[in-house]
Amino acid sequence: MIKFKNVNKIYKIDKEVVFQALKNINFEIKKGEFVSIIGPSGSGKSTLMHLIGLLDTPTKGEILIEGKNIKNLNDNELSSLRNEFVGFVFQQFNLIAKLTVLENILLPTIYSRKKLDFDPRKKALELIKKFGLSGKENSYPNKISGGQQQRVAIMRALIMQPKLILADEPTGNLDSKTGIEIMNLLKKLNKEEKITIIVVTHEADIASYGKRLIKIKDGEIVDN
Amino acid sequence: MNYFIFIVKAAIEDFKKNKTQTFLTSLGILIGVFSVVILTALGLGLKKYIDDQFAQLGKNSLFIAPGKLISGGSFNAASTFQSIKFDNRDLTKIRKIKGVIEIAPIFSKQVVAKSFKKTEDTTIIFSSEAFFSINGFNIKNGRFFNKSDIDKKSKVVVIGPKIAEKLFGQADLALDQKITASNVNFKIIGVLESKGGGGFGGPDYDNYIFSPYTSGYIFNPQKNFSRIALKFDDINFSVGEIKELIKKEMLKRYDEDSFSIIEPGDILQAVNSIFSVLNMVLVAIASISLLVGGIGIMNIMFVTVTEKTKEIGIRRAIGARKNDILYQFIIESTILSVLGGAMGLGLAFLTTLILQKFFPAYIDVNSVLLALGVSSAIGIFFGVFPAKKASDLSPIEAIRYE
Ligand SMILES: Nc1ncnc2c1ncn2[C@@H]1O[C@H](COP(=O)(O)OP(=O)(O)OP(=O)(O)O)[C@@H](O)[C@H]1O
Ligand SMILES: [Mg+2]
Repeated sequence: MIKFKNVNKIYKIDKEVVFQALKNINFEIKKGEFVSIIGPSGSGKSTLMHLIGLLDTPTKGEILIEGKNIKNLNDNELSSLRNEFVGFVFQQFNLIAKLTVLENILLPTIYSRKKLDFDPRKKALELIKKFGLSGKENSYPNKISGGQQQRVAIMRALIMQPKLILADEPTGNLDSKTGIEIMNLLKKLNKEEKITIIVVTHEADIASYGKRLIKIKDGEIVDN
Repeated sequence: MNYFIFIVKAAIEDFKKNKTQTFLTSLGILIGVFSVVILTALGLGLKKYIDDQFAQLGKNSLFIAPGKLISGGSFNAASTFQSIKFDNRDLTKIRKIKGVIEIAPIFSKQVVAKSFKKTEDTTIIFSSEAFFSINGFNIKNGRFFNKSDIDKKSKVVVIGPKIAEKLFGQADLALDQKITASNVNFKIIGVLESKGGGGFGGPDYDNYIFSPYTSGYIFNPQKNFSRIALKFDDINFSVGEIKELIKKEMLKRYDEDSFSIIEPGDILQAVNSIFSVLNMVLVAIASISLLVGGIGIMNIMFVTVTEKTKEIGIRRAIGARKNDILYQFIIESTILSVLGGAMGLGLAFLTTLILQKFFPAYIDVNSVLLALGVSSAIGIFFGVFPAKKASDLSPIEAIRYE
């Protein structure tokens, strides 16, 4: 499903100084996998995640998504993939403060260009019920707890029925009990709905939820 | 549809959060739209007022004035200086022209009028009885002066209601009273009905006094007239024919450039052309404030784009295209601008309601459409640059922005 071939990411710090955040990354992730990417701070985990999530492009090397080389896709096609194929879950939740819980969950559907085979509102309400947020539909993000916000973020990631969920430190801003709840949720989605999940973390016990572990250090894969 | 509801709702939420900023940003457009609409309303009102004034003059009247007062549809200001005067010889000749029914020679004098109570500066118009019918005057109390008053050089006046009120405290008390104008005694034989308005496009007849032209010879020993008004037989003669006949007669004595024969419609056209140019200039000046308002919106939108960088990143991460972001910001700036436009329009409506008490002014559908059209155009035009900046942000830079 996802294939990295000799991927390098080099940041330009200023005119002369550059920083290589990823060095010759090669890996493949198959449909239905639950992968944990672990590594110390600054090792390049987020950079890698942004590449998988099509938010950024590699400096060198190739990324294939379902066999398509992303180099050949224009901005609109990349946007559609982000909309339909991937669901993002961030450490800081990244909900839009002025939209309600329900509206945040519905947001990806308004940007969809394909005809949806489900009723967005009905689906969102189902998700809200399933994730135990009934009654909070019309609350604003700052009126609910961090754990609840992260659930909303997961629901937003799920509404378009993506094949892949990318979670960058999803438990980073949560206490350990809530963190475990969120990880169990992701595990359930992988098991029951066969959604491919990639979780980035620097904590070993969070990484242990994954069925496969990729270790990264100083921009290189050290264990796969 | 859902798409727009979402974007508009988000924009409105932002505006609610920053009410003061939103209001101040729209203020520029508010002021611009307000001034354009008000000025247009005044222009329209003025035009209507002038039309109404001239509608009271019969279609079958003409004026003979010294100089080439009107040339090519507009006033010729220079003509006022090279003016000739008409006299009794002209009157006799014109009266003899076939088709001329009534004739009113006119001259006026600024006087100090005294009643037993008060003293006021005013103007006396000396003319014939025909003056009243040509100008569509009605009498309220008493009577107009007549032919016999003119033959007898009677020292009588018909008085406008406003000056009558000023001199006697109440217009109804003026009848049969005496007034002294520049030390000559006159008897008031009639009080006019109000013609209303005054001040624009024509003299304020309510403030004038009218007397037989023969009685005015005391002030006018040369027996000169500054204008001649006349009524003609419009059943058997066309305006063109009558004008031609009068012109032929006048050319025997004067050269072509020293007099004009004017139809009320000519004056109307000339007055309107002056006012519409004046109004266009004013509206153009007011439009500059719209431009300034638009730049204000652009400025705020650039700030907003920076403030919302993270939000743009989130929207891009979940699949918004460049154009989605572009539309979002253009819609936002358009709402801001139309909001200002609508408030300006509302204020202009209220102001017009108040103005109408003193002044002819009215707002027509065109100015409403223009105001809203222009303000949305400004919103779109000045919103495009900030919106382009927002949509061109790279998703990764935007989402990393703190
Ligand atoms: N836009 C950028 N410009 C320059 N350097 C960058 C940029 N983004 C990331 N880096 C650098 O690349 C390296 C990898 O960053 P990245 O965010 O991928 O680390 P990370 O593994 O996610 O760390 P953390 O666990 O702290 O989130 C870091 O040293 C960081 O300073
Ligand atoms: Mg990171």
